[in-house]
Amino acid sequence: MTMFAAHRRLLLLTVITLTLLVQLTVAPELSVGSVRPDILLVATVCWALFHGPGRGTVFGFFGGLVEDIFSTAVLGVGAFGKTIIGYFAGELKHRVVSRSVAWPMCIVFVATVLHELLKFATWTMVGLEERPPFSFGIIAGMALYNALLTLVVYPILARVAASEEKAMLFQ
Amino acid sequence: MIERYNRRQRALVITLVIICVLLVTVYSREDKEGFLHRLQRFSMDVVSPLQKGMSKVLSPVKEGIEFLVDLGRARGERDRLREELKDLEERVHELEEMRRENETLKQMVAVKEANPELDYLVVEVIGANPDAWEQTVQIGAGYSDGLREYMAVLSEDGSLVGRIILCTSETSVVQLITDEKSAVGAKLQRNGEMGVLKGDGGGKTHLELLNQDADVQTGDVVITSGMGGTCPAGIPIGVVTEIGEMQADLSIGVFIQPRASMTRLEKVLVVVNPLPATLPMAAEGRN
Repeated sequence: MTMFAAHRRLLLLTVITLTLLVQLTVAPELSVGSVRPDILLVATVCWALFHGPGRGTVFGFFGGLVEDIFSTAVLGVGAFGKTIIGYFAGELKHRVVSRSVAWPMCIVFVATVLHELLKFATWTMVGLEERPPFSFGIIAGMALYNALLTLVVYPILARVAASEEKAMLFQ
Repeated sequence: MIERYNRRQRALVITLVIICVLLVTVYSREDKEGFLHRLQRFSMDVVSPLQKGMSKVLSPVKEGIEFLVDLGRARGERDRLREELKDLEERVHELEEMRRENETLKQMVAVKEANPELDYLVVEVIGANPDAWEQTVQIGAGYSDGLREYMAVLSEDGSLVGRIILCTSETSVVQLITDEKSAVGAKLQRNGEMGVLKGDGGGKTHLELLNQDADVQTGDVVITSGMGGTCPAGIPIGVVTEIGEMQADLSIGVFIQPRASMTRLEKVLVVVNPLPATLPMAAEGRN
């Protein structure tokens, strides 16, 4: 393993750990009624938009997995949703040329809706009895909230991506 | 090269998705003491002190967000409450009106029970005479309702108000006892001393006693005597409020405060039975 590959993995681990900490400690405090932001999902989409489908998938998988481990949810459901979202958001990397933050916001909005639908579909498939009642209002609220959080998360991850590019150039 | 890279990525996604499906399956099938469940419980124990600490630190931020959300809701709530208040105020007015009407009807029933030999017709007061010199009111019933001239008119509480002096098919004019041209046969309830109650045109009345030496005191109740044939006997009129000095014509001024409030009449009772027997004492003066 080269130094650069090790650096990339360390960076991935750091970003996931920090995002997980924020998700576990800050997000519950920022919830409005039943609407709770999914910062890990926002980070997955933004990460995938900067680094493409491969790294987006890995980020989504590990981010979702640790989130599942640190919650009472069915283990694997979050990882499943975020893996798929990470891949498809990464596929958009070269298709979105605008540098405006409006695009990532729109993508996060749609990704949140898809992610929640995937969650409900998986719960139904595994026959989970105690699943929360489906509410499109809550999903729309979450999507809006996540889209707004993109305004904060996207510039931070843009800086991380820029520093990584710089490190690669030095090598 | 790019094709190989894309294939590798697709293989990666499929592999990770399969791992997720396996995890979900294993987790769903194992019991609460299974490895994955125990791992979750352990992780939550590790992270819970952090969550508690962060909860304390971020509580002002949370309160700020809730305040902003509440502010938006409060505006809508305010408008809704304003509408509700308006509706409730209208309802209160309606209920107040109904309460007053109920009180009036109760009083009227009491009047009927006190004088079972008399028949009444409840009529609404529809207007007052605009002429300051005429103490009359207009009521909403006339010939077609069975009303006749010289019939006695009582207030809601059964006190004498006046008598009908003009009847049309749908309305009638009531001459109040305070009218200067009004004269009603009256007597003191305490000792039966007879006299004639006359209006002074200014909202007051006075009693001209037939016996100049009659025993009269302030507070004496004055009722109708039945003399003259227009008003049935025994209807309360008012109380003696002042006794003046003897005049040159040897009469004494006995001032009576009418029991009925002539300025607040809404409904009146017209005595339709028995019918007035004779012309009133001052009827010729008017005609």
